[in-house]
Amino acid sequence: MPILSASTGITRYRILEDVSDELIREIPERLAKFAFMDIDHTAEERSFGWVNMDDMLDDKWAVSPPEKAQYFTFALRLDTRRIQPAVLKKHFQIALNHELAEAKKEGKNFISRDRKREIKEQVTLKLRARSLPIPAVFDVVWNVPENRLYLAATNTKVMDLFTDHFSDTFELTLEPLTPFFLAMEMLGEEAVQKLESLDPTYFVG
Amino acid sequence: MDLMMLAERENTLLGQDFLTWLWYKSEIRDGMFELENGERFMLYMEQRMSVQGGDGENVDTATVNSASGDMTEVLYGLRTGKKVTRCQLKMEIDENLWQVQVKAEDFTLSGLKTPKVDMKDEEGDDPDAKFLEKIYLIEKCIALFDCVFKEFITTRISSELWKEEVAKFQSWLREGEK
Repeated sequence: MPILSASTGITRYRILEDVSDELIREIPERLAKFAFMDIDHTAEERSFGWVNMDDMLDDKWAVSPPEKAQYFTFALRLDTRRIQPAVLKKHFQIALNHELAEAKKEGKNFISRDRKREIKEQVTLKLRARSLPIPAVFDVVWNVPENRLYLAATNTKVMDLFTDHFSDTFELTLEPLTPFFLAMEMLGEEAVQKLESLDPTYFVG
Repeated sequence: MDLMMLAERENTLLGQDFLTWLWYKSEIRDGMFELENGERFMLYMEQRMSVQGGDGENVDTATVNSASGDMTEVLYGLRTGKKVTRCQLKMEIDENLWQVQVKAEDFTLSGLKTPKVDMKDEEGDDPDAKFLEKIYLIEKCIALFDCVFKEFITTRISSELWKEEVAKFQSWLREGEK
């Protein structure tokens, strides 16, 4: 989701570790190292990685640098090949019929379960190679001095993919600023025990 | 590790208590809040809201999406012990208006609309100007949200202050019944 769109979804994070100046200087290099790899000419099911926030085709930051004032900006691109179940069902049936005809020539009247699974895998692979991956892009803004990261997505799967890939790229841990963690940040670590022992409020008297 | 799963109980408890409190607080204050630097802003809930009650398999949810702002049905839910789980917030500073939907259990923000940023490209413009204006407006919205959450959490954490606050909440709820 583009951060610049008129209506956007945002999930907030902070980094748990201290971020060294050296690491900050390395951000562009690390982004490039963990950049998105195109799968248009393969049969891969999915691919994900960082791209330029200003241009999802730019995985080398040739169009513009990731730095914008105090922010580092990039985007998580996720390409996925999806095969419609009805298409798979049809082509699996065609392949099965063909296999059965071949088997009959050899006097066999059935196809084993393992062979069926194998055929299904082959059909899936063949269809995947023929379908184009669907791209999705989720903008990321890292406010370095304020220790804040904004991901333009609220979908749990995308959030998980983002935190894992971020952690692989920068060797840093992201904490989502959910009510508990936001409260902990505002009140300090010493409030943790108190926060954990709170009972739900009964607002109806 | 999925950090969202950690502290699930606390997230739900704090998030729901907060949004429920925020409804009452924004109503009794006519939406007037103040940042730590003294800057005033308006914050109110409107149009869309969900309340939820019960546990496990017996969770009941009531959702209102009312263009006229009629919240009677969710208010009824509140009186039967339900709490706010999702809502739409509007925030205003002078002519600037933000709108956002908040989920109680994780504070993810969806449908976030900031005051309009001019997207036209003019010659000589800083190529990052639009982004910087947009992110400033998004962070401003978050700062307003955090300001009211901070007011809530400092009250919530003190058992005496919270007891007083809940008593006031209850009389507000009873007032509305008359």
